[in-house]
Amino acid sequence: MSLIDRVDDASSKRGVKRAWLILVVLIFLVLIILPSVYVLFEAVSQWDLISGVASDSGKMAVIWGAVGNSFSIAFIVTIIDVIVGIPMAWLMVRKNFPGKRYVDTLIDMPLAFPTAALGFSVAIFWGVPQGLDVPGLGIVLSPYVLVILLHLIFTYPYMVRTLSGILEQLDPNFETAGMTLGASRFTAVRTITLPLFRAGLVTGFILCFARSLSETGGTYIALSLIGKQSTFFTGPTFISELKHQAGSQAAMPELILISVLLIVFALLMLFVAKMMMDKVKIPWSKVWPKFERRISRGLAVKMRNGLSSLFLALFIIIPSFFIFSFLLIDGPLPDMAGLFKAMGISFLVAGAATAFDIVFGIPMALYIARNKDKSLGKALDMLVNVPLIIPTTALGLSLFLFWSSASLPGLVLVILGHISFTYPLVVRNVIGAVEEVDPSYEEIAKTLGAKPFQAFRKVLLPVIQSSVLAGSILAFTRSLGETGATIAIDPTINTVPIYIVNLINKFTEFNNPDYAYQAAVASITLTAVCFVLMLAVKYATRRKLGGLRHD
Amino acid sequence: MPHIRLENITMRFGDITAVSDIDLEIRDGEYVTILGPSGCGKTTLIKIVAGILRPTDGKIFVDGKDVTKVPLEDRDTGYVFQNIALFPHMTIRGNAEYGPKVHSVEEGQAESTADEYLRLVDMLDKAGHFPKELSGGDQQKAALARALASGSRMLMLDEPLSALDARVRMELRYEIRRIVKRLGITVLHVTHDQEEAMSVSDRIILMRKGRIFETGTPLDMYRSPKSIFAAYFIGETNLMECTVESKRKGGGVILRLRNDVPVNVSKSKANVGEIAILSVRPEHVYTATDGLKAHVRDVVFMGTYWRVRTEAESQDYVDYNIPADSQVPEIGEEVYLVFNKKASRVFKRPKEGLTEAIKLE
Amino acid sequence: MTEIRLEGLKKRFGSDMAADGIDLKVESGEYLCILGPTGAGKTTLMRMICGLTEPDEGRVFFGDLDITHLDTAERGATMLSQTYALFPNMRVKENVLFGSWIKGWPEEESQQLARNILSMMHMESRSKAYPDELSGGQQQRIALARALASGSRVLLLDEPLRALDARLRLELRKDLKGMVKAMGLTAIHVTHDQDEALEMADRIAVLRAGRIIQVGTPKEVFEDPKTPFVANFVGRSNMIQCRVVSSTDGKVLLESEGGLRMEAKDGGHSPGAEVLMAVKVGNTKISTTLPGYFEGRVEKILYEGATITVEVMVKGLGLVYSKLPNRKFDDFREGNTVSVSWSPNKAKVFDIPEGGIEYEIRVD
Repeated sequence: MSLIDRVDDASSKRGVKRAWLILVVLIFLVLIILPSVYVLFEAVSQWDLISGVASDSGKMAVIWGAVGNSFSIAFIVTIIDVIVGIPMAWLMVRKNFPGKRYVDTLIDMPLAFPTAALGFSVAIFWGVPQGLDVPGLGIVLSPYVLVILLHLIFTYPYMVRTLSGILEQLDPNFETAGMTLGASRFTAVRTITLPLFRAGLVTGFILCFARSLSETGGTYIALSLIGKQSTFFTGPTFISELKHQAGSQAAMPELILISVLLIVFALLMLFVAKMMMDKVKIPWSKVWPKFERRISRGLAVKMRNGLSSLFLALFIIIPSFFIFSFLLIDGPLPDMAGLFKAMGISFLVAGAATAFDIVFGIPMALYIARNKDKSLGKALDMLVNVPLIIPTTALGLSLFLFWSSASLPGLVLVILGHISFTYPLVVRNVIGAVEEVDPSYEEIAKTLGAKPFQAFRKVLLPVIQSSVLAGSILAFTRSLGETGATIAIDPTINTVPIYIVNLINKFTEFNNPDYAYQAAVASITLTAVCFVLMLAVKYATRRKLGGLRHD
Repeated sequence: MPHIRLENITMRFGDITAVSDIDLEIRDGEYVTILGPSGCGKTTLIKIVAGILRPTDGKIFVDGKDVTKVPLEDRDTGYVFQNIALFPHMTIRGNAEYGPKVHSVEEGQAESTADEYLRLVDMLDKAGHFPKELSGGDQQKAALARALASGSRMLMLDEPLSALDARVRMELRYEIRRIVKRLGITVLHVTHDQEEAMSVSDRIILMRKGRIFETGTPLDMYRSPKSIFAAYFIGETNLMECTVESKRKGGGVILRLRNDVPVNVSKSKANVGEIAILSVRPEHVYTATDGLKAHVRDVVFMGTYWRVRTEAESQDYVDYNIPADSQVPEIGEEVYLVFNKKASRVFKRPKEGLTEAIKLE
Repeated sequence: MTEIRLEGLKKRFGSDMAADGIDLKVESGEYLCILGPTGAGKTTLMRMICGLTEPDEGRVFFGDLDITHLDTAERGATMLSQTYALFPNMRVKENVLFGSWIKGWPEEESQQLARNILSMMHMESRSKAYPDELSGGQQQRIALARALASGSRVLLLDEPLRALDARLRLELRKDLKGMVKAMGLTAIHVTHDQDEALEMADRIAVLRAGRIIQVGTPKEVFEDPKTPFVANFVGRSNMIQCRVVSSTDGKVLLESEGGLRMEAKDGGHSPGAEVLMAVKVGNTKISTTLPGYFEGRVEKILYEGATITVEVMVKGLGLVYSKLPNRKFDDFREGNTVSVSWSPNKAKVFDIPEGGIEYEIRVD
């Protein structure tokens, strides 16, 4: 009997199934969850040092400022995403128009850019970069506004995709039914579709908020380019700056304190959002028929679609690509050998993390998807979100502290860190795919004689494989672009984002635009790699648009 | 003036033509059913009449006015969906109130109108429940009340009973007809179930492959179908290939089945010498001491009668019925069959062949 | 050939008893139909038999073997579901061969078996197609082929015809049973459609709220129902609430609340007892000339094709229905006064059901 046959046979034994589940859950808890929140325990044990920092009003002012900036920026960005996301999602799901497939790809574009590159783009498009001669609008001087404009770019696709996903699953007949009863399109959407849609809105909200909260590299680079990296902080950039300036040990109490604040408030926000999902009602009992009719038709609709498209172009697409204008300027190339070495390390980290995610994420996703009514399933569903919510910089610090007594090499720690925030991406993706598959397939296969693992391999996996692939590539590119966690764990591990940040630091230190140029080229190289991977996703998951069924 | 009139309606989706050249008139208060197999275009047609789809060509008139370009929300048409589509986040009362509310009716009045229609469908005591707490039949009654409460004089029923159990369907279809007739509403009902169509319609429109095949009252369509497809699709029938041997001036036709077996019928659409198809319904086949020889292959209890399945010497399969308390023939037994002369129909053999002519998919 | 035995099966979901003590024996090679309304617990029962759901109590036997806790893959009971569940990424041929492939059967024999079954269904030409290229009826046939080619000895059909058009269902009923019998499988076919059950079953088991109410041949269940529910569910019945007046010679004399008198078959009730009388609409006769138990006014005549149903309003009783052959259509007009009668031994008398009459005869 071959190995596969043995595994097939084993899978039907109840004891084996249970043992495998326990193993997967244990690995998840010990390698991912515990390290992510460990810093909270550390804060308790180092309380005297922490309170020392807490009483220093000067330091606290900066810390609260950073935390406040992170949360307020995340909030504003998410609200804007909701407002512009809903009409765009509705347009993509309900309407067919020429060029729709291209718009579909454009919406996902920002996900192909590592945020480091976006940091560059935004700084030179909207802002006034110090000592650099690039053609940009140069109209934004406030670092706060600049960061918001940056965060809008990479959170927008999350919002639109989440909303589209939910909207697609909603039977359009509900809206049509409303209209046959005399409601205008706007009234029908507001009173029927949106209330049913609530879960999607909250999920989109959580995803965007968390992404914005986490972002380190792009924010750091953008602030550095406009010279504000020492005066304006978000939570993650503060941590990065501390690690850069003070060297990790000296600033540990501050690092712990701010990480704790970030984690606690992020988890709080998650709870509040989940509660809102059930409690808050979107008002749908009142109608204003005449007014709503007027805005459902003609000019109002065209204006709304026009504005959505304008927003997409002006605030998302054009700024994203602006980094390529660096290629118009003449400048020195970075040390290519060093860059390729960094590329190798990035690939190693991303590859290892993604491989782990697949092996241990798929079984977790399967369990959650098929056991949503059991308490363990519900608990795991919640827990899987935790590493997604916690800002990666704080997560990295926490993980570093967790493993500090075991003398693990820095590379391994970085890999463990990257596993933590990519794991939920794969799991969520696979859960979504499995939920759409009729459980009858596997069940019928079993009645035809297939053992559980056989049913999985031969029936379920082929059907979900494109989602597995999409989730993996999402995880891989996310890891490639991650800055904050790597800095927090071990800045000597030279991934490409670290390589870029080092160059930027030299730029601000020596005020030499050459370094900025080199960093830009490195970012562009990384972007090119991510582009290729994203195109592979698009090809693999070829979405069928507008397949009409009619009788 | 007819209440609804369709003029030359055609609908294309890309290269696919779902319906073509439909001309139709529906009188005020009439209950018309569009019957046909899946894919015949009936759902597309009803959506066009309701205003959910805009036709590629053609016009729709309601009370003489051209409403082809009038948007959905301004068409005064009630619609009941196949998969019910009750708003899950509202109670039954909330659902029923929706129509009046979006017509800018006053708060109190919306509720009393809703209650009035809920009482009509016998759902008033469940008005406070949510859709998912109710059975399929109750949900569909609530959907009906909702559609009627918006005050339209036209009601479109899009396979309203297909998702329900057979027994529930039987009871609900009479209820629906009773209610709409009492209110004097014009109804367009779409279904693939010919039994359903027959029991509730004033008129049946048989559609196939995007076109209207035949129309008539249930009685006419059953007794005097004009095509083999109609004869086969509506009710059950035995189809046998034959040739027309002779026709007498005053009536009376002699046919020859395969194996040269002679059969007498009253009239025939096919001419002497042509190959034809003989259609005889099971209830018009009787056993006698002499006739078409056949062997009993199966006997099935159908409740109020037994269905006897035979293989005749003309190589045809012929089914007939006998009352439930009669003596049941043995499998293999030899019987002689005769057909009711007046009720039998003879059609010309279709160009595309018999199998194609009656194909359901 | 496998005999199936169910002993005391119970299954609870939350507050819902999907199976409430089910005992059933299916003979080897039998085609048994389980008939019941939606929500009766039919699907739960099927799932317990093939092992996809574990019963809370009770046992399942295939022959002498207790398979209650045996893995699904080992049981040899396969399912044909409403949605067919044809593996979308495999072609027709691969779907059909799935069972033998999984079990590692010799290639040559499996291919031959698949070819035979596909040709029995006239589907050989489509063996390379993918499921989504097939029509509903074709998908159903391939799902059946897959089940038949798997070497299973038991076939569970979960409302296999539900997704098809009405007319297509009529066509496929004959073919379906024929093919299953030809392969010698023991089959349990679950449905809500009484016509389907009557036509296809060797025996029918009526299921409601997790309990089997009656088992018998189609004729037995139709003509000799054990409860008012069965009387009304398998073939519609007129139900009249009465009091027993007297009984003689195997017949009872009954009186309704409105004072109307009628006869029925003696059910062993004593005079004065409150009972529920049921007579099938097909056995309820009406006439404009002959006398009967009482008179009524023709409200409506419904033309159903081969049959007609006449709705008669009887004062003090309500609506009474009579189902007649279509040649009687011209005999009656709306507004006619008609007499209503039936043969006494066709009318059955039941105790007043515990949950109330309305609940008992609900079909929903």
